[in-house]
Amino acid sequence: MLFRLAAVLLWAGLCWGVARGAAAQSTCTLPLAGRVTDHESNEGLAGATVVLLPTQEATQADSEGHFHFHVCAGIYRVQVRFVGYETEEAELRVGAATVRNFALHPSAIRLRSAVVRGERVAEPQTQASGTLSGQALQATRGQALGEALQKIAGVSAIQTGPSVFKPIIHGLHSNRVAIMNNGVRQEGQQWGQEHGPEIDPFVASELTVVKGAAGVRYGSDAVGGVVLVQPKPLRDSAGVGAELNLVGASNNGLGTVAATVDGNSRRLPALSWRVQGTLKQAGNTRTPDYWLENTAYRERNFAAALGWRKDDYGIEAFYSQFNSRIGILQAATVGNLADLETATQRGRPVGLGSFSYDIARPYQQVRHDLAKLTGFVKTGHGGRLTATVAHQQDYRDEYDVVRGSSSAGRKNLPQLSYLNYTTTADVAWEHPHLGNFSGSVGLSGTYQHNRYAPGSRQFIPFYNNWVGGALAIERWQHGQLTLEAGLRLDRRDLATKRLTRGFEADSSLFYGVERKRFQLWTPSASVGAVYEVSPHLTLRADAALVRRAPAPNERYAQGVRNGLYEEGYDVTRPAGAPQLQPETARNLNLTATLHANPRLNGELTVYQNYIDGYIYQVIGQPITTIQGVFRPWRYQQTDAVFRGLDATLGYTPAAGWLLSGKAALVRARNLLLDDYLVYVPADRFELAVRREWAGRPDGRLTQRFAQLSLGATRRQTRVPSALYDPLPAPDGYGLLGAEVGATVHLGGLPVQLSLTGTNLLNERYREYLNRFRYFADDMGRNITLRLQAPLNFSRRASAN
Amino acid sequence: MKTTLFRPYLAAVLLAAPLLAGCGNDDDPEPDDENELITTVRYTLTPSSGGQAVTVEWKDLDGAGGNAPTIGSLRLAPNTTYTGAVTFLDESKNPASNITTEVQAENDEHLVVYTATPANLLTVTRTDRDKNNLEVGLATRVQTTAAATGTLRIVLRHQPGTKNGQADQGSTDAEVTFPVTVQ
Repeated sequence: MLFRLAAVLLWAGLCWGVARGAAAQSTCTLPLAGRVTDHESNEGLAGATVVLLPTQEATQADSEGHFHFHVCAGIYRVQVRFVGYETEEAELRVGAATVRNFALHPSAIRLRSAVVRGERVAEPQTQASGTLSGQALQATRGQALGEALQKIAGVSAIQTGPSVFKPIIHGLHSNRVAIMNNGVRQEGQQWGQEHGPEIDPFVASELTVVKGAAGVRYGSDAVGGVVLVQPKPLRDSAGVGAELNLVGASNNGLGTVAATVDGNSRRLPALSWRVQGTLKQAGNTRTPDYWLENTAYRERNFAAALGWRKDDYGIEAFYSQFNSRIGILQAATVGNLADLETATQRGRPVGLGSFSYDIARPYQQVRHDLAKLTGFVKTGHGGRLTATVAHQQDYRDEYDVVRGSSSAGRKNLPQLSYLNYTTTADVAWEHPHLGNFSGSVGLSGTYQHNRYAPGSRQFIPFYNNWVGGALAIERWQHGQLTLEAGLRLDRRDLATKRLTRGFEADSSLFYGVERKRFQLWTPSASVGAVYEVSPHLTLRADAALVRRAPAPNERYAQGVRNGLYEEGYDVTRPAGAPQLQPETARNLNLTATLHANPRLNGELTVYQNYIDGYIYQVIGQPITTIQGVFRPWRYQQTDAVFRGLDATLGYTPAAGWLLSGKAALVRARNLLLDDYLVYVPADRFELAVRREWAGRPDGRLTQRFAQLSLGATRRQTRVPSALYDPLPAPDGYGLLGAEVGATVHLGGLPVQLSLTGTNLLNERYREYLNRFRYFADDMGRNITLRLQAPLNFSRRASAN
Repeated sequence: MKTTLFRPYLAAVLLAAPLLAGCGNDDDPEPDDENELITTVRYTLTPSSGGQAVTVEWKDLDGAGGNAPTIGSLRLAPNTTYTGAVTFLDESKNPASNITTEVQAENDEHLVVYTATPANLLTVTRTDRDKNNLEVGLATRVQTTAAATGTLRIVLRHQPGTKNGQADQGSTDAEVTFPVTVQ
């Protein structure tokens, strides 16, 4: 009911918005046009991006290099860029029809990181962010999403062995980090620390992390930050192309094949498509001294997209499926507290183990489906209406060690089996620019239901969750200054159904269903500013207020998992006591960025995030079950503060050389107990020296590079009292890495090859945030070979 | 997804999802068979010289959390030899399912460990062996000496692929402690 009402309101609001938008902007029709050419050859540069800087309205040059806009009278900064050329900017005063041509200079260095961008250009973010694309992304191919993201300063991961990485942004993770997969909020079983994001990074051409609370844009649980997984736009030049990625790693015998084929119809230029698939298989991981038994994993993913795109409107359908099976380290299989203590005291697997691709119990089997339909209509002069509906299905089965002759063993049933279905609908309208103002309004609705399969254990109860929200973001840009303010209000309605057990008078067991409903308003607000002190120095500041509603697991999780007994706050809440309250985060970020300097570039972000009612787990008095004694982990609330800084610095002492450094520090306090918080990332530093050789453009080997890096992680000394952690934090460690690579031209085909070595000295170490550190060392030396080959069928066809 | 049981349910919800998206989903969690649950550990001691058997039970019908378990006490005579048999049951089901037969079927992957505190309270000897000639512990002989009080802990260890006679291999499926009086 609520959902339908929201949908009706959504469309009504939308139609009203379109009508108004069209009326307001009918006078701005001055043509601003020109041609983009190569400075040397004078040939038109088809596909060059032309951006009007104050409004961020963008277009692409046509096949002859021509572009045109319709604008209001005023002063515009026009930026023209094209892969392989130096970007040019010019300031234009438009009072009448204006023609301005641009002749771009080729840039050999730019070609190195040939980033393929869509024609829509991101507006300057008021928030600190980091992006992996091009060669930086290529260097992470074959890794899990959360592992790859660790390349971005301020991002680390809660890790479960070699295969599961959950991104941590500024010390926060899981329910507090939103992941946008191709524009859709990833919804699954993201509450567990060992539940990695169910996303294949090969779908992305760009991974971006927005650091800090971003509740207004991405939903009120984005307390820590947002991960954006962005595929490249569908192909817009006629023909068929393909890209092949191969990855092989020495340590665990990882092999990955990923291929993308995309096309654009010659007859119907608006029609584009893409299919993508990934196969990944890895065996047991080896530490310097022994194998990690049963840490093999495999993945099987595919995605397909079909788009119809005209200048003024477009529609795209997308479907993706993610499948993975992940073995859980045998030595980490513990039944109860005594088991856990035995295993942690041993601190290593019993035997030396051996290599195998086999996956035995315990393991996780995960599948995630996403179907999405999205469309946009341009509403004139930078106005744009976008609507998206998406459906996601998430299946997570956890297979414990069972007796082969039990019913679960005979039928090979999972012991925990969750199903999560989420339908989301979003409408956003970016209104036409009004003077210095631009902005957008949006409505968003989510319906989610979560079940566990019959015969599996209740850990998270059945629940239905409805969320409806409205948001508005307005931006004012003048000269070097951009100001932004946003507001969002969400209504959340969570209904839970929990199976309860009790005793009859004759002490026989009976079952009941406990129904609860939690209705909340969760407002978010943000203000931000960007000041471009000079073309090479940008300052950013943003402040956000976010209210995050408690997740169902924080209310109602109950049961034993991974040798721990977990219990949600509302399970044993005394009668009359208030229910678990939302968290309120007040986040402040300051960022200074030095960019596009010939020698010195870098970025510094400092932040502070006060979270009132911070929901975390507290260890209670041991409880006795038939499986022995457990320490219960109960969800409680406190007030907490996270502070820290991320810094990156790059220095070019001479052409072709780059010295770079990275640092990330987080300090977190439990304010009510005046104590530290557990599992906060330790201080991290990285130093690297890189040499690049451009090479002759017509040579067989171009874009050669070599890099040596040293990553250091300090011991986490800021830990709470001993009870929170079965073992004290492990020692700090430093790891040596190296990478060499080049583009090899094989018959006109530029094949990117690279060889990467991690933990080259084969050091024994344990990472504080790896959940397997209690039971075994981390991965030893690993050499990874990566190959990326683009194939362009249309070009070959025309050559014949 | 390879589970068979999973599929029909899944398909049903899949079909239902678009229909119900507007008005919620009213299915209830079913008190279905939770697989792999043990609710009861029963230890029966029969005097070798004949006489009344002594049975003690550790029972937690509603699993971890919820209501407290009921724990029986073991009363034994001094200087007596008993034949012991341990039984593991899932009594949340009707009829109760006998886990002991599963353990017996895979006795080369299981070990029952008996620990008396103080150590001289009584002596428990495992009298059954698996196909690898390693002790199992479903059948035992218990010898008491002088009158005393203490506890007896019984642990069922599941050791698939790693059983070597040592208790520290594998993980714990059940662990209970009974108060014991010898008088």
